Amino acid sequence: MGVADFGGEAKRERRGGKRRRKKMRRLRYRLDMTPLVDIAFLLLTFFMLTTTLVTPQVMEMTIPPERTQVEVRQSELLTLRIRSDGKVFYNLGTDAPQAIALKDLESLAVRENVRLKNRLITVLKPSPNVPYGRVIAVLDVLNRAEVQISEQLAREGLKRERRFALAPMTEQDEQEIAGL
Amino acid sequence: MPKVKKRRLGFVLDMTPLVDITFLLLTFFMLTAKFKSEAESQQRFTIVRPQATADTSRLPDKDLAIIKIGIDTLVGDTSYYYEMTNETDWAQVVGSMEQLQQSLGGQRVRQVKVNLQELDELIRRTRIVRPTTRFAIDADRRVRYKWVEDLMDVLRQNRATIFNFVTDRRPPEQPPM
Repeated sequence: MGVADFGGEAKRERRGGKRRRKKMRRLRYRLDMTPLVDIAFLLLTFFMLTTTLVTPQVMEMTIPPERTQVEVRQSELLTLRIRSDGKVFYNLGTDAPQAIALKDLESLAVRENVRLKNRLITVLKPSPNVPYGRVIAVLDVLNRAEVQISEQLAREGLKRERRFALAPMTEQDEQEIAGL
Repeated sequence: MPKVKKRRLGFVLDMTPLVDITFLLLTFFMLTAKFKSEAESQQRFTIVRPQATADTSRLPDKDLAIIKIGIDTLVGDTSYYYEMTNETDWAQVVGSMEQLQQSLGGQRVRQVKVNLQELDELIRRTRIVRPTTRFAIDADRRVRYKWVEDLMDVLRQNRATIFNFVTDRRPPEQPPM
């Protein structure tokens, strides 16, 4: 496209002509990029709008292989119960259950775990009727507390060993928190 | 007049850098794009995942069995759905279950709607075909916890004691309720 013919001139003056001819061709060479750009932008828009960059994340869970009754010291047991209306109750050992807001749960978990230095066993008992999202919210709070717990225990030279269990809510549990 | 015409003709915009960047972005988006799996395009429900604090752990792609608990958008009933990312394993697992195949009527599906007994059977066979298969529970946040509890019991019975809950990242400015 648009290449000037300098043939005759080149024959007459070889070296100079060659240089000049090359230069001219480069300058004049033009590729119409409009359709290319059109298509490229079209595809770009398509892929930008269809991709979701946020991939789902996961929360790992480990459960004991068998439902066996393990004898534990009552004083080292933190029971968390989620009532069917989503309210969370906690009690240490045989204490009376107390309602707790999710935002206070983190500091409670940190405080008690650091106080008992890895010996504390946390048992979570969600009611079968509570929405699953609520259970995950509570688990999430406990997971976040884990960071602080291991940090504080590390300061005392201890390695964090998590002791946590998910247990089904029994009738007795339900009765204990029913009227609160 | 002739002067104006000449100027117009000579107007050239160098599009090279523009094209460079465009193609760079295009390549990036094309390579990162992940398309809906066959199983997902067959399902009749959308899962509203529970939200959790941002975490770096991601769902593995390989040899994953996903148990979904979804709420049907039309009928509104809750059910378990089972799917596997490994196609050959999936064919083996489903192929070995005659009952399930009959109910499917020979259709090639990537996701099945199952009840607890079928789920138990499926998980057991999955564990036999490939013991290293990872399990993930992808449940709607609105379902009753009972559904998840029963499912965890089934997993426990099949010695699949390590699994994942699929969650969505909570926006950092939004604290938990």
